[in-house]
Amino acid sequence: MEESYELGPRGKAPAPAPAPKGRGRRKQEKLEDMKKEMDVGLVEAVAAERLLRDGPNELRPPRGTPECVKFGRQLAGGLQCLMWVAAAICLIAYGVQEGEGDRGSSDNLYLAIALIAVVVVTGCFGYYQEFKSTNIIASFKNLVPQQATVIREGDKLQINANELVVGDLVEIKGGDRVPADIRIISAQGCKVDNSSLTGESEPQTRSPECTHDSPLETRNIAFFSTMCLEGTAMGLVINTGDRTIIGRIASLASGVENEKTPIAIEIEHFVDIIAGLAIFFGATFFVVAMVIGYPFLRAMVFFMAIVVAYVPEGLLATVTVCLSLTAKRLARKNCVVKNLEAVETLGSTSVICSDKTGTLTQNRMTVAHLWFDNQIHTADTTEDQSGQSFDQSSETWTMLSRVVTLCNRAQFKPGQDNIPVAKREVIGDASETALLKFAEVTVGTVAEARGRFPKVAELPFNSTNKFQLSVHEAGERQLLVLKGAPERVLERCSTVLLKGQELALDTQWREAFEGAYAELGGRGERVLGFCARWLPAGTVAAGTDPEALPEVAVGLCFAGLVSMIDPPRATVPQAVLKCRTAGIRVIMVTGDHPITAKAIAAAVGIISEGSETPEEVAARLRLPLERVDPRQARARVVTGAELAAMTPGALEGLLRAHPEMVFARTSPQQKLVIVESCQRLGAIVAVTGDGVNDSPALKKADIGVAMGIAGSDAAKNAADMILLDDNFASIVTGVEQGRLIFDNLKKSIAYTLTKNIPELTPYLIYITASVPLPLGCITILFIELCTDIFPSVSLAYERAESDIMHLKPRNPRRDRLVNEPLAAYSYFQIGAIQSFAGFTDYFVAMAQEGWWPLLCLGLRPRWEDTHEQELQDSYGQQWTFEQRRYQQYTCYTVFFISIEMCQIADVLIRKTRRLSLLQQGLFRNRILVIAIVFQVSIGCFLCYCPGMPNVFNFMPIRFQWWFVPMPFGLLILVYDEIRKLGVRRHPGSWWDRELYY
Amino acid sequence: MARGKAKDGDGNWKKFIWNSEKKELLGRTGGSWFKILLFYVIFYGCLAGIFIGTIQVMLLTVSEFEPKYQDRVAPPGLTQIPQVQKTEISFTASDPKSYEAYVKNLEKFLKDYNADQQTENIVFQDCGDTPADYKDRGPYSDAQGQKKVCKFRREWLENCSGINDPTFGYRDGKPCILVKLNRIIGFKPKPPVNESLPPEVMAKYNSYLIPVHCTAKREEDADKIGTVEYYGMGGYPGFALQYYPYYGKLLQPRYLQPLVAVQFTNLTYDMEVRVECRAYGQNIQYSDKDRFQGRFDIKFDIKSS
Repeated sequence: MEESYELGPRGKAPAPAPAPKGRGRRKQEKLEDMKKEMDVGLVEAVAAERLLRDGPNELRPPRGTPECVKFGRQLAGGLQCLMWVAAAICLIAYGVQEGEGDRGSSDNLYLAIALIAVVVVTGCFGYYQEFKSTNIIASFKNLVPQQATVIREGDKLQINANELVVGDLVEIKGGDRVPADIRIISAQGCKVDNSSLTGESEPQTRSPECTHDSPLETRNIAFFSTMCLEGTAMGLVINTGDRTIIGRIASLASGVENEKTPIAIEIEHFVDIIAGLAIFFGATFFVVAMVIGYPFLRAMVFFMAIVVAYVPEGLLATVTVCLSLTAKRLARKNCVVKNLEAVETLGSTSVICSDKTGTLTQNRMTVAHLWFDNQIHTADTTEDQSGQSFDQSSETWTMLSRVVTLCNRAQFKPGQDNIPVAKREVIGDASETALLKFAEVTVGTVAEARGRFPKVAELPFNSTNKFQLSVHEAGERQLLVLKGAPERVLERCSTVLLKGQELALDTQWREAFEGAYAELGGRGERVLGFCARWLPAGTVAAGTDPEALPEVAVGLCFAGLVSMIDPPRATVPQAVLKCRTAGIRVIMVTGDHPITAKAIAAAVGIISEGSETPEEVAARLRLPLERVDPRQARARVVTGAELAAMTPGALEGLLRAHPEMVFARTSPQQKLVIVESCQRLGAIVAVTGDGVNDSPALKKADIGVAMGIAGSDAAKNAADMILLDDNFASIVTGVEQGRLIFDNLKKSIAYTLTKNIPELTPYLIYITASVPLPLGCITILFIELCTDIFPSVSLAYERAESDIMHLKPRNPRRDRLVNEPLAAYSYFQIGAIQSFAGFTDYFVAMAQEGWWPLLCLGLRPRWEDTHEQELQDSYGQQWTFEQRRYQQYTCYTVFFISIEMCQIADVLIRKTRRLSLLQQGLFRNRILVIAIVFQVSIGCFLCYCPGMPNVFNFMPIRFQWWFVPMPFGLLILVYDEIRKLGVRRHPGSWWDRELYY
Repeated sequence: MARGKAKDGDGNWKKFIWNSEKKELLGRTGGSWFKILLFYVIFYGCLAGIFIGTIQVMLLTVSEFEPKYQDRVAPPGLTQIPQVQKTEISFTASDPKSYEAYVKNLEKFLKDYNADQQTENIVFQDCGDTPADYKDRGPYSDAQGQKKVCKFRREWLENCSGINDPTFGYRDGKPCILVKLNRIIGFKPKPPVNESLPPEVMAKYNSYLIPVHCTAKREEDADKIGTVEYYGMGGYPGFALQYYPYYGKLLQPRYLQPLVAVQFTNLTYDMEVRVECRAYGQNIQYSDKDRFQGRFDIKFDIKSS
C-alpha cells in the first residue's frame, strides 16, 4: 500500500529544482503549476472531472448480498424445504386425483396452497426482521454530512466532505475530522488523534516534514476520519474514499466471514434433527402404508401429512419474535443489536475483553489527588460532582489553586455558562482541561481570576523543558507560576509552602515529595508539580522572549502536586462484580500504560482486592520473578511487548493460569490474538472496540460490541451490537437479557414442540388402526401458526426463575437449547398426555354421534368411500358420505379444542422449569394471560364463525366437548408440579437428570 | 464458529450407537435403559388406564338403544339399489353379463324381503296393505324385549320384485332400481304439504305417504326418460308411515325399510341419461353440499348392442 503514497520531500528543505533543460523544463513548468495549485487550489472544472473519475469521497458500505438472494435464503431453510416437498406432494396428489376425475379432491390443492402460503409468509416475516436490523445500521451513517474547508480557484469554500477530490487543498483545524488522506504542506501546532487507526491514544504532531517511509509512521500525512485535536494545517488531498488507509482496512474487515452465533448453531442443529425425524417418521409410515396395502399416492399423502404434523411450522417465527422483543428491550437500555441472534450470544458470553478508555472509564482526565501541606487530598472524581471535597482552608491551597488557575492555557468555549462545568467544551489538551475544570469547580470562575492577574509573558509546555510557566501582573508585584513534570519542577524550587509558610526545601521534604510522587504515580495517575514565586514589579516586561523566561524561574516556592486520571465510570465496579458472580471473566485490553491500566483494573474490580501480580508476589516473598509460581498470582498485567514475544500456546497458558488479566500497551492487532486465544480455550468472547483497527477483532469475536459515541463507522459495521452510551454496565444488562432469553426460548420451544405429538399421533393411529381421521392438516396449520403463536411468544416475557446472574455462563457444547430431557419430556410425556386427551375427546364425540370406539377401528376404508351413502353406525343408522365428512370435521375440531385446552395447561407449566407455579406467580406475566384469552377466543371464533365448515373444516362443536380434555389439562399441571417438586427436592438424582430440561 | 466442531463425526456416531468402553447403547447403559423404560411403562400404563377408564365411563353415559345426538345424520339420505360405482348404471340389454352385477346386487338385497323370511310372528307384524299412521312401539329400551317389525311384501314391487322376471327388467332394457330412505332411529318423516308437490306426485297423494318421484336431472333430457313406473306398498309410489319410527338394530334387528321400486320402461338408448329421484316430506331436506340427502341422481347408459 505504500508505493501509492506520494510522501513528498524528505527532510526539511525541498530538493532544489534541477536546471530547466528539455524535458526538465516541462517538468519545471508543471512544478510551477503545482506550486500555483498549492496556493489557489484546484479549478472547479478539474475538481468536477476528478470527482467523476474517482467517485465521491466516502467509504462505500461493504457490498451486501442482493435483496432477492436474501429473500431466497429465507425461503430455502431446512424446514422450508420440507414444506416445499410437502406442498409438491399435495399438488401431485391433487393433479393425479383430478386426472382420474375424482371429485372432492380439492382438499389437497387447498393444503398445497396453505403450505406455500406458510412458507412465503414466514419468509417475508424473516426477511422483514433482517431488513429492519440492517436499517438500524444504515441510520447511523450520514447523520450529519461532514463539511470540509477547501481552497479552490483561490477561494476558501465550505463543501461537503464527500465532494473532495485528489489534489484538493484543504484546511483543517482543532476539532475537525480529517476529511481525506492529506499530505500536510503547512502546519501550526497541529496534533491529531490516530487512535482509531493505530490504537495509540497519545495525540500526534503533524508537520510538513516526512519522517518515515511508512505512511502510517510519517508525520506529514493525516488520515481520513481521524480527529484533529488542536492547531491548524493545510494539506493536499492524496487519496479519497475507499482508497484511503481507513477505507482499505474497512474493506479488509468486511472480507472476514461472520462467525455463526451460538443460537444459530443451536437452531440449525435442532432443525436438522427435526427435519431428520420428520423424514424418518414419514418414510417409516410410508413403508408401513405400502406394506399394509395402500396405493402409492395415498402413501405419499400420508408421508406429506406426517411431515406437516411433525414440523413445528411456527417455531422459527416464535424464535425470531422472542429475539426481537429482547432486542427492543435492550435498545431501550442503550444496546442496539444489529444481529438478532447476538442477543442470545451475549447471554452465553464467558469472557468480555473490554477497552479501558471510555468504556470502563469516563474518557475525561479528572483531577484525582492533590498533595500539599505534606498530605494527600482526594478530589471529587464522580461524573456528576456529587462526591466529597477536601479541606480547602489551608493557605497553601490558596496558592496552589492560583497556580493551577493561572498556569493554564486551556479555556472554555464561549457561550456555555448554563452547562455544568463537567460537560462544557474546552479548547486545550486533556491535562489542562482537567485542571481548568477542577479550578472552575473548586475555586470559582477562572476567567475572572485570570482577569485579575493579566498575563505578561508565557513559555508553553515543550518536551525538552517539560514544564510551562507564565508571569502575571499582581498589583505591585509580578507572579511567576510554573507547572510541569514534578522532578523538573522540584529542581527549580528552593522553598516549600506549609500552611502558607515558606520553609526551606530540606532533605526531609525531598523525601516526602518523593514518597508522594511515587504513591500517586503508582496509582496510575499523571502527576504534575506546581510552584510559584513573587517577583518585583517590572521584572519581566511585556513582550519578553519566552526563551529567556526559564532564567528567571529559579529559587521558586513549591506549592504542591496535582495528579489526574481518567476515572472509572460510577456504574462499572458494580457491573464488573456482577460479571464476576455471573462467572464471566472481564479482561482489560488497552493501549494505555501498564500502571494506569492496572490502577483502573483494580479500581473497577477487574483485579480484585487481595489479588497479586507475579511481580508483587516476587516482591513479597523476596524471590526473583522467574521463581514465582504463576498459580500464586491471580492477577497478571501483560504488555504488548511481552505479548508480541509470546507463542499463542504461552498466551493460552497465561489465560488459564491467571483469572484476572490486564493487557496494556497492546495494539489493536494484538486484541485479535487475545480474542482467538480465549476462543481456543472454549470461551464465548465479547469484545468491545471503537477504532477502525478493532474491526477484525470485533468480527472475530463471538459478539463484537462497538461504541456508539466514540466508535468509528468501520467498528460499528463490524460489530454485532452497539452501545449507545459507551458504558460497560450496558453490556452486563445485555448479558442478563441474553441469559433470560435463552431460558425463555427453551420454554417457548418446549411449548411449541409438545403439540407436535398430539398432531402426529392422529395420523399414526389413522394409518395403523384405520380409524376415521381425527385431525386434518389444515387444522394442524391453524394450531401451529394461529392459535399457539401468541402464547409461545408470551413466554419470552416470563421473568427469570432465579438470579440468573449468579449462575455460570452456559457451556455451548453441553448446555444445548434443546436437549434430550426437554425433547423426551415434551414429546413422550406431556405430548403423550395431550394425545390421550385428544383421542378421548375424539372417541366421545364419535360415540355420542353414534360411532362407538370399537366400531371406529378398521372403519377407515368404508368411511372414506365416496360412493358409500348408507354406512351403518353402531345403532344401525345409515350415513351418507357428506354426513360422515361433517362428522369428521367435528372430530377435527374436537381434537383441535383438546390440543388447545391442553396447551393452556402446557403454557402454564412452561412458565417455570424448576420453581413451583405458585412460587412464580400464576398471573404475574400479564402478556401470557392475554395470550391465553386470545387463544381461547381464536378457538371460539374458528368453531362458531359461520361458514367455517366449508372453508377451513371447523365445525361448531357441543359445549361439553370443551370440558372432556380439561381433566387431562389438570393432569398435566399436577404431573409437572410433581416433577418440579422432585427436581427441587432431589437435585442430582435420577429424577432430576431425566426430567429436568 | 465452526471451531467447536472437530471432524470426528464418523467415530462419534458409531460410538453413540455402541460405546464399548462404557457399555452404552445409544448413550445409555443397560441399567439406565432399564430404568427409563420401566418409567415409561409405568407412565404409559397409568395414562392408558386413565384413558380406558374415561372411555368406559363415557360409554356408560351413552344409551345402547338410542344415540345421544343425531344432528349429523338427520335429515336422512336417499339411496338406491343396486349400489353402483360413480352412480352410473350402464349395460347392454342383450348381454346378460353386462348387467349380472346389478341383478345380483338387487337379488341379494331383496332376500330379506322374501315371504319365507317374514314368517315368524314374534318378530313381524302385518301392517296392512295401504299406508297408515306411524307405529309407536314404546320407549327406546329393551324393557319389553325386542320390538316388532312391519312386514314388507316383495310382491308389492311387481315387475321389479324379481319374482316374475329374475333380471328385474334389465334384459328388456327396462331397468329397475330400488329407492329407500336411510334408517335413522326415531325419525318420523312428515308427509309433504300439498302445494309444494309436482303434479304427477299429487295425483297419487296419500296423507300417510312419503312420495318418491324421479325426473330428468336436466330439462333437455325430460323427453329421453320415457315412462317411469313406480311400485310400492299397495301400489303407492312412496314410503308408508307405519314403518316409522325405526328403533335401532338392537331392538329391531330384522327391520325392513319400506322400498319403492322405480322402473324406466322407455329409456333412450345409447346416450347418458341423468335421472334424479327425490323423496318429498316436510322434514326431508335437500342440500347443495350433500347430493344424497333426500334425493340422489343416477346415470343410465343403455347400449343397444
